[in-house]
Amino acid sequence: MANSISEILGSAAAIAKGMSVTLKEMMSPTVTEDYPDAPAKFQERYRGVHVLQRDEAGLEKCVACFLCAAACPSNCIYIEADENTEKKRISGGERYASVYNIDYSRCIFCGFCVEACPTDAITHGHQFEIASYNTSTLIYRKEQMLVNIAPNVKAPALPVETTGGH
Amino acid sequence: MALVNVTINGVQVQAENGALLIEVAKQNGIEIPAFCYYEGMSLQAACRMCLVEVEKAPKLMAGCTLPVAEGMVVRTESEPVVKARKTTLEFLLSNHPLDCPVCDKGGECELQDMTFKYGVGESRFTEIKQHVPEKQWSPVVFYDAPRCILCYRCVRVCNEGMGVGALGVSYRGVNAEIIPSNGDHLECDECGSCIDICPVGSLTSGIYRYKTRPWEMEHVGTVCTHCSNGCKTTLGVRNNEIVRGNNRDKSGINGEFLCVKGRYAFDFTQHPERLQTPLIRNAAGELEEASWSRALKLVAEKFKALAGPDFGVIGSTRTTNEENYLLQKFARTALGTASIDHHRTGDVVTLIDSLSGKTGQLATAEDLYTSKAVLVVASDLSQQQPLLANKIRANVRHHKAAVYTVTPGPVREDKIARKAIRIAEADSLAGVEQLREALSKEAELVIIYGDAIQGEKVRQLVAFGESLGIPVKYVALVDYANSRGALDMGLLPDLGPGYHATAPGRSLQQMLDDPKLAALWVVGSNPLKGGKSLASTNAFVVVQDLFLTETAQRADVVLPAASAYEKNGTVTNVCGQVQRLKKGIETVGSKADLAIIGLLARGMGVNLGKVDADAIFAEIAASVPGYNQLPMPVILTGGAVQTHPVNGGVPPSSVPGIIASARDTLFTTGSLTRYSKILNEVLEKPGALYS
Repeated sequence: MANSISEILGSAAAIAKGMSVTLKEMMSPTVTEDYPDAPAKFQERYRGVHVLQRDEAGLEKCVACFLCAAACPSNCIYIEADENTEKKRISGGERYASVYNIDYSRCIFCGFCVEACPTDAITHGHQFEIASYNTSTLIYRKEQMLVNIAPNVKAPALPVETTGGH
Repeated sequence: MALVNVTINGVQVQAENGALLIEVAKQNGIEIPAFCYYEGMSLQAACRMCLVEVEKAPKLMAGCTLPVAEGMVVRTESEPVVKARKTTLEFLLSNHPLDCPVCDKGGECELQDMTFKYGVGESRFTEIKQHVPEKQWSPVVFYDAPRCILCYRCVRVCNEGMGVGALGVSYRGVNAEIIPSNGDHLECDECGSCIDICPVGSLTSGIYRYKTRPWEMEHVGTVCTHCSNGCKTTLGVRNNEIVRGNNRDKSGINGEFLCVKGRYAFDFTQHPERLQTPLIRNAAGELEEASWSRALKLVAEKFKALAGPDFGVIGSTRTTNEENYLLQKFARTALGTASIDHHRTGDVVTLIDSLSGKTGQLATAEDLYTSKAVLVVASDLSQQQPLLANKIRANVRHHKAAVYTVTPGPVREDKIARKAIRIAEADSLAGVEQLREALSKEAELVIIYGDAIQGEKVRQLVAFGESLGIPVKYVALVDYANSRGALDMGLLPDLGPGYHATAPGRSLQQMLDDPKLAALWVVGSNPLKGGKSLASTNAFVVVQDLFLTETAQRADVVLPAASAYEKNGTVTNVCGQVQRLKKGIETVGSKADLAIIGLLARGMGVNLGKVDADAIFAEIAASVPGYNQLPMPVILTGGAVQTHPVNGGVPPSSVPGIIASARDTLFTTGSLTRYSKILNEVLEKPGALYS
């Protein structure tokens, strides 16, 4: 008899202890995200799809120094450089990237390119939904990664660029 | 010379008395950093980077100008030296812009490397750097004054190395900068040596500018396809495109020397008019594009039908030895003709015959640098044979060689010559005779002669040389990259490979003049240049070339060929030195001449064996006298080996007047340079445009 009473009390204590954890967690803020029903939240330094930055004048920061491509361990960055002219000024330096491609089927998001960049032109954004059934769409061109010109900047008139089929 | 004992960093070494400390240290594996010091150039002591501590000397000494002496104790890594280096770099960088990410030199810059290795990370200078806008001195040379560290290397290489002296220094102190010959623009050889030798990115190349970075390219060491000197040029290749040519590793017979053609004139490979599909003349008489299979089938059928003694073959002076060998073999066996020739530009044949029974009398490019005396007969070397001229200049500078010139007009070699004789080309031998007394007092001699000396005159010149009683070597000048190889491989109507006599056929001019000629096969040559025409109007003409030349326009079938930068093989330079070509790029639609000959043979059902550059070279080595003892490891690793030509009588081959040099200048060599945009710009744009 005494044996069954202590068994009941023991079970009740166990339930109470378990429920106390449940109740305590119910009161604390949630950490699980509702993605994809709600937008995903990121730490500021999350390494997503790259963003190519512009300077205050709206010119591209990238001067095509190729250091990102040199630092890249998966060899996924392809650049073609060209010279800025007085009529056609694309970047702040003498040289700019006429072609800048990143192959996201190879990129491992290690951030070495961002560290290597001497002009802070390449940064990681927070975009990550790039899965595709067609790998050819995973090669991102410069135009897809360039940040928009800020609305308060009167940007220099940029002629339409053609990418040579890359 | 006496040896002395020197102690460098605690290690006792032996060195020649009077040798420069910086060189002694280098030979013993110790680096003394320097900018202005450059091997082979005069001493400057301008950069102060090479300061070292010498015991008993009150101050630090410049290692680049300090001759070693007995008992000298030197420290190159002591505290005062390290401090001095850091300070020197801080001064050099005080006005040097930190734009390495944009600078073309970034990645191969000596200042960058030195700062990385020896510099302090920070500068104490807070003053604003003085900016001067970049200047364009010529289509190929740009100068950025703020980057310049005033090491004077460019000034010295232009003055001493090239003998041009187009650069100098102007203004004083912080305003000092390099100034080109004509104030605001250059009028010079446009060789680009100044760009190459610049330790920083101050002088940059117009063609390579802002295109890529050194580590992004593949570096392909091959041989320049323009003149006959056979300089090694290392092509920078990116994305199947040649972006630059230089030879910074100092390999090959030319060291780091290159002229405007070797450094820049590779852009013909990307010319928009480059043929990329075969052309066949249609019923309306116009050339129309066709597939390779259709063109090859047509040519093979026609060749089979027309083979015989009335078939003419004109070979090339810029295709490889393998291609030339296979072409003459195919023509002599499968096509059954003896009418084989090429554009002959110098009388090598008579020279070899005159020297029969003697060995070691054909000079190499190196001999021009080491020989005690050089005689130049009827040639403007600096214009037509830039490497040979450069070797002679270096010889005069380093060994005080005696140079004699016998030329119709003023030449650059006059300035360094002991005696310069001005005499009409036809009388060159009389001019040479005037030098008999002076020449016979020399210890040894190299005689270089142009196309004015041919036939009997070659024999007279050799007789003159032999009568001097001193060791004499000879160079018979020819024009193009493989002119010598075309002769050695037997692209001649009466001589086969290795100058063996064969049944005689028509010479080039006789082929053009013969109304009975049934077919003409032209490989990489343009015999109809300058309005010449073919006497035989019915002849079936096949042309293999890169461009639609005058001859190609007359052709019934045109086959697009690959350039020398697009194939493997070997070429033989003016001095008979065999070197290897290495494939750098590929042009869609073109085929190497070797492959085309092989495919035509297959189409005709002729068995030529394995058609591949290495296999054919093995056949040449086995069957052509002169090519049988070449040490392959040297050739395969990019070295040059002189052939041992036949040592015996050669039947006289020259018909008077058939040998004619094109008298090219530094900026021209036949059809290739006509399609080089950059060479034409250098020629056409007068310097005044750059004011």
